[in-house]
Amino acid sequence: MMDKQLFVKSNKIERLTFLFDILAIVSYITLFLFLFNKLELPEIINGRMDLDNLQFMLPSYDVLWMTWDKFQMNSIIAMIILFALVAVPMFAINYKKLKTRTIYEVDSYVAASKFTQAIINFFSFNPVSAGLRIYNMFVLVEFVKGYKPKEFFKSIIPAIKSKFKDLTTKKQAEDTSHLDEYSLSIKKSIRRQNVTYVVRLLFTYLFLVLMALLIVIPFYWMILTSLKDFTGATTTNPEFFISFSRMNWVNYKVVLTELNFGLYIRNTVIIALFSTAGTIITTIFAAYAFARIEFKGRELLFSILIMTMMIPGELYIITNFITVSKNGFGWVGMPTGENQYFLAMIIPFVTSISYIFFLRQNFKQIPESLYKAARVDGCSDFKYLMRVMVPIASPTIFTITILNIFSSWNAYIWPRIITGVGGQEGKNYWLISNALRDTAFVQDNGRVMYNLQIAASALVTVPLLIVFFTFRKYIMNGIGRSGTKG
Amino acid sequence: MELRLENLTKIFTNKTGAETTAVDKLDITIESGTLVGLLGPSGCGKSTTLFMIAGLVKPTGGKIFFGDDDVTKLAPEKRGIGLVFQNYALYPHMTVFKNIIFPLENLDVPRDEAIERVKEMANLVGIGELLDRKPSQLSGGQQQRVAIARALVKKPRVLLLDEPLSNLDARLRLQMREEIKRIQREIGITTIFVTHDQEEAMSISDKMVVLDFGKEQQYDAPQVMYNNPTNLFVAKFLGNPPINTFEAEVKKGYLILNDQKFAKVDITDGLYDIGMRPENFRVKEDGFKAKINEIFHIGRDTMIHFELNGKNIRALVDSDSIDDSNESVSLTIKNERIYIFDKETGQVVNHG
Amino acid sequence: MADFIANTKRVLLRFKTAVKTFFWNVRRVVNNFKKRIGKFLDKHNLNVASKFPGWAKALLYLSPALIVLSIFTFWPIINSFALVVYENYNMSNNTITGYTVFGNFLTVITDESFIIPAAHTGSSAVINTLIIVFISVPISVLLALFIAVALNSIKPLKSFFQTIYFLPYVTNTIAIGLVFAYMFRSDGGLVNQLLGMVGIQAQGLSWVESGAVYWRSMFVLIFYSIWSSLAFKIMVFLTSIQGIDKQYYQAAAIDATPRGRIFTNITVPLISPMIFYILVTSVIGAFKIYNAIVALFGVSGAPPGVDYNLQSIVMYIYQFIDGSNAGNLSVAAAASLILFAIILVLTLVQMQVSKKRVHY
Repeated sequence: MMDKQLFVKSNKIERLTFLFDILAIVSYITLFLFLFNKLELPEIINGRMDLDNLQFMLPSYDVLWMTWDKFQMNSIIAMIILFALVAVPMFAINYKKLKTRTIYEVDSYVAASKFTQAIINFFSFNPVSAGLRIYNMFVLVEFVKGYKPKEFFKSIIPAIKSKFKDLTTKKQAEDTSHLDEYSLSIKKSIRRQNVTYVVRLLFTYLFLVLMALLIVIPFYWMILTSLKDFTGATTTNPEFFISFSRMNWVNYKVVLTELNFGLYIRNTVIIALFSTAGTIITTIFAAYAFARIEFKGRELLFSILIMTMMIPGELYIITNFITVSKNGFGWVGMPTGENQYFLAMIIPFVTSISYIFFLRQNFKQIPESLYKAARVDGCSDFKYLMRVMVPIASPTIFTITILNIFSSWNAYIWPRIITGVGGQEGKNYWLISNALRDTAFVQDNGRVMYNLQIAASALVTVPLLIVFFTFRKYIMNGIGRSGTKG
Repeated sequence: MELRLENLTKIFTNKTGAETTAVDKLDITIESGTLVGLLGPSGCGKSTTLFMIAGLVKPTGGKIFFGDDDVTKLAPEKRGIGLVFQNYALYPHMTVFKNIIFPLENLDVPRDEAIERVKEMANLVGIGELLDRKPSQLSGGQQQRVAIARALVKKPRVLLLDEPLSNLDARLRLQMREEIKRIQREIGITTIFVTHDQEEAMSISDKMVVLDFGKEQQYDAPQVMYNNPTNLFVAKFLGNPPINTFEAEVKKGYLILNDQKFAKVDITDGLYDIGMRPENFRVKEDGFKAKINEIFHIGRDTMIHFELNGKNIRALVDSDSIDDSNESVSLTIKNERIYIFDKETGQVVNHG
Repeated sequence: MADFIANTKRVLLRFKTAVKTFFWNVRRVVNNFKKRIGKFLDKHNLNVASKFPGWAKALLYLSPALIVLSIFTFWPIINSFALVVYENYNMSNNTITGYTVFGNFLTVITDESFIIPAAHTGSSAVINTLIIVFISVPISVLLALFIAVALNSIKPLKSFFQTIYFLPYVTNTIAIGLVFAYMFRSDGGLVNQLLGMVGIQAQGLSWVESGAVYWRSMFVLIFYSIWSSLAFKIMVFLTSIQGIDKQYYQAAAIDATPRGRIFTNITVPLISPMIFYILVTSVIGAFKIYNAIVALFGVSGAPPGVDYNLQSIVMYIYQFIDGSNAGNLSVAAAASLILFAIILVLTLVQMQVSKKRVHY
């Protein structure tokens, strides 16, 4: 009984800690936004930003009662980002664990993890959470080991001593003289087997680590370069690591505002949202029609659709360009002000045959007896689709959403063709890929501001990485399954 | 509410034009409030009949009446039936509560009353505490109860069950069939269930319909059908261990077995199929002598194998009345327990 | 304090039930309405929906998809065949000067930058694309296979590695392409730095900038193409390897099969349908490479100031839409059809070859 009370108490403390965790996270974010806002951009001379100045500026920032220079500002921002990067996942994991942990799963590791988290909290300037977690740890220790804090401290030393003794006790050397040849050879082959096993494991890990390095290095280099100043990005001897104070966060601000990437990201998000919404709706209805509704020519129509999947997209682009221009719908290529760029970028891609195929497979796997049972209960087709089939097929629908978002994020050629017709007005409707490639990160004297260019790349990549890490399991499972469906 | 099938027929035509008669002029009246079993081997048309009553399959001919209403052309949702599928067909993503309340969402029922009905029905079938679980968290028997609750919650006129017990393990089957009987008794609803297990049907039905190739063979109460089968098929279908059948001649009013006069029977001479149930044999001093081929002891009974007219016959007798040392045994069987069937039509000729 | 919490809970609960009851009653009203309309139509025998149930309903559900597909998928296919026989189609005033059956195809085939490299350009779209396809696809498929097998054989850190290998999939091709171009910079690019560290004097070596040799820039392109395509392949292979019944491996273990043979005689045949599928889709995808080239070299498709280009067939096609030869849509259509034919032939060849090798 005591145990259960302790468990409940520990959970209550945990919930209270969450409050302060959330407070901390919110304050990190607000502080970051505040400071980011304060970052000074270089001056604008003759309509062009003096990006050279960006490197040599030494502005001073007045924050509350303190005055910081550029380096301190950089360090503070870097630290805040670090805190947020650590605190948010920690909070998410803790929240999930709290919901699912039963009383039987609490052991000394849980108590130890509380301690580590307390330390993290302390160094993240979250003393309240740190204190609460330490208290929680003592509660858990009492729960697990059954004794109070004082005894706990007393027991640490003997525990460490006994662990140490275990590690240093040597195994007794085996007496092999009385064994015959066969047993000896078995022993030898077992030993050899172990050695080969270990060697193989080592090489496998080596291989995997090597490959992983190859994958990760571009990402690391990208973030690293995006925080360098111009000299750092163009020197012949680049640094592999920079300290907090040298992290040039203002690069991002330049990219977002002066180079208009905020606008381009907004455009891309709009496209992604609307085209995904449209795709989901058309795909669900079409897949349902092909999976459940009996009508003449169903298989024939479906086979025709499958065959069109083979045709390369370039063929469609040509005619679609004509269709949306003034010879067709008149969405682009019209005089300024009459163009409907978003319509031209969204509508043609609102339906995708491969998604219909994928979802139809999934719908077909739902047993037909469910449909019969629903019909007997007077359920209409539409209601059955919405209330039964869609929820059951939701993993697939989620995968389709993710795939669609990724393809919108990567769109280049179609937006380029569409906006290319419009001259200056078209530029406002660029998507991120177009902006990345076609913005000249070039100064008047022909030097390419690589740090800004890479910062723009990072700006475009990081949101998607965050989405990926959040929904990691679902995304990977979904993609893997979509491939195996063939 | 009385359920009447009038010359119900269903003919399937496949792509090449070949026709299969699944149900052949079925004509049956089911009294209100009875539990009727549709029994027969695989492919005899029992599920098809059930689905025609439900309205999921359109009959090729004949009529179906619920009470006085001709529902033959009526859509399933308008007939007022409850259907329990063989694999329960529970919505996997909804809780038990949502599963049961689902049918009520399409009726004109206020929400409080709907919740009341769900609770009442859940308690009736015995899953009152499981309302918040999802089907995947329930055992087979519990899932079936949920399916039954879902079928009954809209207070249908007829309850239909498609092979309700075939997905359960043996011990659960015993328990669940008594449950079904209890529920049916308590509500008093006309119920039809389909099964291929004759023991199951016999144990709980008020009346049974035996079907073979879509044709009705007999429609009677179980025990009546067991003791008075109308034809060879019904006799062979019911009973475990199965009835012994063999050929024999009737000469001058006597049944001849093993070239001996066996019993006096009141039928014309000729060659007939004879049926004798194993449990109807008795060990008695002045019966006919049979040479024992094998003896099997099965707990409370003993099975004796002997020969009659060249065929191996099983007799199930009390373990106390015989032991392994016997080489032959003297058996009798009551006259009314000898079934004589016409060789061509299969109809019984010495009973009712 | 406890009372306050209890009270708020009660109020929330009541609110929740009120909302649910509201929606419930809405549904009742709608159902009743539908029933009344149904009865009305039945009485006057107007209920069209029940007379053609499958047909009409299917139309309703398919209509959004079909409308969009007809305009943007079916129509383009037909129109392309029309475009291809136009002569000098002018998009701004929608005029043509005549019809030609093979003229546009001839233009494409004889174009010096398409198949047969011209003397001064030294490269052609078809040759470039073929090189990319036949080098990058086998390497990436084999590499993905090895990585998937390796991943499958370890337990700790498995999901950690999986996450890392999946990273390239969630990126923007152009963004990471820019990073690659930066890494391969001649002055102080990461690659030259690393080469210097292992003793190869690489300072000033140009990979993607002016002065780059064909093979060096092609190397970067192929490297990047393999890098970004690994993630999907690894994921699919891993899923299918995990689906192999453990009993096969157990039987092989009892027979003391060496690891190499387990791989070639058990793992590979059992996932051969998947390998085939990945091969086919990879070849098709590699033939359509475009974004990666633009990411590394810009719309011109070559490092600045060189006398060759790395254009792929798709890049070649796009120049007729809004590139250097803009407006010449008929030629673009012809080139697209030729591309389609190439892909079709290769796919059919692969299917023929697979008949013997793939076990279902």
